[in-house]
Amino acid sequence: MAVKEQRTIDTGTGFRHPLYQVMLETPGLTVGTAVLDDLLSWGLTNSMWIFPMATSCCGIELMATAASRVDIDRMGVIVRATPRQADVMVVAGTITTKMAPRVLKLWEQMPEPKWCIAMGSCAISGDFYRNLYSVVPGIDTFLPVDVYVPGCPPNPEALMHGMLRLQEKVKRQKQGETVTPEPNPDLLKITRPSVPRLNDPTRSTIQTIEQERASTNPTADEACAPLVVAATEPPPNLAPLTAADFEGLLKELGVTTLPPDGPPIIPAAQHLELARRLKGLGYHLLVTIVASHWPAGKGRKGADAAEVEHYEVAYALRTVGQGSRVATWAVKVPVAEPVLTLSGVFAGADWQEREQYDLVGVKFAGHPDLRRLMLTENASIHPLRREFPADAAAAPWR
Amino acid sequence: MTQLTVSARPRPNPYLPIDSLDPEAELMLLHFGPQHPSTHGVFRMDLYLDGEIIVKAVPYVGYLHRAVEKLCEKLTYVQQTPIVDKNDYVAPMTNEQALVMVFEAMLKLEVPRRARWMRSLFAELQRIASHLLAIGTFSLDLGGALGGGSTAFIYCFRERELILDLFEDVTGSRFHYNTHTIGGNRHDLPVGWGAKVKAALELIESRMPEFAALTIENHLFQQRTKGVGVLEGALALELGITGANLRASGVDHDLRRDAPYSAYDEVKVKVATASGGDCYARSIVRVEEVKESIRLCRALLDGMPEGPINSGKPVKLPVQTKIPVGQTYVGIETPRGELGTWVIADGTQNPYRLKIRPPSLHALAALPYILPGQTVSDAVAILGSLDPIMGEVDR
Repeated sequence: MAVKEQRTIDTGTGFRHPLYQVMLETPGLTVGTAVLDDLLSWGLTNSMWIFPMATSCCGIELMATAASRVDIDRMGVIVRATPRQADVMVVAGTITTKMAPRVLKLWEQMPEPKWCIAMGSCAISGDFYRNLYSVVPGIDTFLPVDVYVPGCPPNPEALMHGMLRLQEKVKRQKQGETVTPEPNPDLLKITRPSVPRLNDPTRSTIQTIEQERASTNPTADEACAPLVVAATEPPPNLAPLTAADFEGLLKELGVTTLPPDGPPIIPAAQHLELARRLKGLGYHLLVTIVASHWPAGKGRKGADAAEVEHYEVAYALRTVGQGSRVATWAVKVPVAEPVLTLSGVFAGADWQEREQYDLVGVKFAGHPDLRRLMLTENASIHPLRREFPADAAAAPWR
Repeated sequence: MTQLTVSARPRPNPYLPIDSLDPEAELMLLHFGPQHPSTHGVFRMDLYLDGEIIVKAVPYVGYLHRAVEKLCEKLTYVQQTPIVDKNDYVAPMTNEQALVMVFEAMLKLEVPRRARWMRSLFAELQRIASHLLAIGTFSLDLGGALGGGSTAFIYCFRERELILDLFEDVTGSRFHYNTHTIGGNRHDLPVGWGAKVKAALELIESRMPEFAALTIENHLFQQRTKGVGVLEGALALELGITGANLRASGVDHDLRRDAPYSAYDEVKVKVATASGGDCYARSIVRVEEVKESIRLCRALLDGMPEGPINSGKPVKLPVQTKIPVGQTYVGIETPRGELGTWVIADGTQNPYRLKIRPPSLHALAALPYILPGQTVSDAVAILGSLDPIMGEVDR
């Protein structure tokens, strides 16, 4: 079979081999290599093994996609647990600033050719976490994304559709076509983000604060009347803040006034004694430890103006079994002073206190291992302090 | 009160520096996670190994810290239900319930009886779905001995989809429902939904024996889990561990029965406990709770009262809901244990401070105590049996 078109042949040294001329003259061989190329791209598109970079909710839907009902195996998509055997990284879930370097490392471990799918709003844009201190506003700030699958989380069918679109893209790229998204002006109008990204030159960064406000806040007509609160007794099925036996114990320790707007405040010196005695009374279960930061001039009801800057650390214990009761108390310390640790009495206080130290900044004296729990070890912020803004985005990404 | 037994086995000290343990043994440091198919999300442990035995385990969390508590301070009270959905993404229904219940307690709102029954029904269906996923992924973690473990996983997901379909009928989404509001529910039950639920429950119940044969009655499963990762009741309480993990350690404690909320004061719960405290006991308790939840769902459906599903008139954007000054804690029993919310309100429409008490964080705190002395392969089994969800651990 004669080749119809005359092609220019590269006369480089590699092609001077006598066998090469024979190969060229053999009828049908060039057609054969073209067929072989098609075969390769057919194989490539139908065996895209994915590496599940599943961090949160979308990971569950990724599992559902691989499980019985949708069964993505039918398309040759197999979930591999190691990046070295995978072609496609599916980033399913929120990527935090602590996790992002690891994601990049795993991406670099994947062999070429490789593709990336951003699954869900968090991976695409950071969703409603995007302006917070610990979340990366979209993985395309550090990874080349091929297909975006929108949704929160996307249905398994949506992820499957995303996989099909990726197969299409790979096939067309192999055939030498450029793959650009179809320009649909109506669609663009809807999908244009209200807050533009700084790193994306194709999107306008000029948007005034008024425009931003107008795009998110409801108008006066939309806002409705406040919810009417019925003046009834509290539902009887909720555990009260203080139980009777706990009040008796407080009286023994010299605390007589029970404030109406929160747990009773215990002198810092008696705090451990109270915990030990409550444990003896049957409050075996450590429920939680909550620290809160109060700037100067802010405090419990009626004492606002006289307050200096302080922390309030509240504790909750619970009895076990029928008729479970909760006991809560609080300790108030100025910002410079530490609170005595509870980890000698309750082993679980260890992590709770580390978390409160990390996020609020209150220090615990005598703690065996007071390191940060949530943020990275070298972080310099205590984000749950009142002066820390809620929309302080992470530095390297914004 | 529950009697707590204290065994002779000494409690490991997780704070000992690694140099003081055994200078002769050449310890190997193994980084486990943060991206590992068996860590149930992004969780990392440093395991110090003597051969195959773990000598010390240092867990690290925070790889999914999404700053939910800071976000809640910024948002108004009514905007927060869709946010907390994403915390425990395997059981979003109970997340919403825990949050709105604390707001209702502070507002002293009376929730209509039908709404309370619906909440309990949703919670029980969610418990079935969540435990199915927990046991399915646990089988996957156990791996090769169970025929790759995928069989049980595939079966669990098949049953779980039935429940997600039911929720989709009510709320329109597979998860992240946003159906609880302050004072009631947003979506009423559709016509003919009860029959669908009963059909789904019957199907799940008929498949339970097959499912039990694959997992808890399976000889290989028992070999792999019995006596592995023993957690004592006293330690579990000190660590604040709740839910199925606590009940598997022999402590009879379930907030649905002990501090009843929603419809649990009218529909009584039979609490399943086990005494072993090992991975096997935790699995049995979960399977028993699925059976009990099926019974509860039927009782709740049969007795579902008529009436309004919300205490106020349906409002579109009640942005002005203000909570008076005060602090309250309310905890409920989710599939993973006691999920509570502590709210400090300062009289405005945003909380001054909102703390979520995640049961999974307390469960992971047990790892430094129960991992020493176990092998590396068992570490995966122990982690899977605790059923942590990193979304609520890190928030």
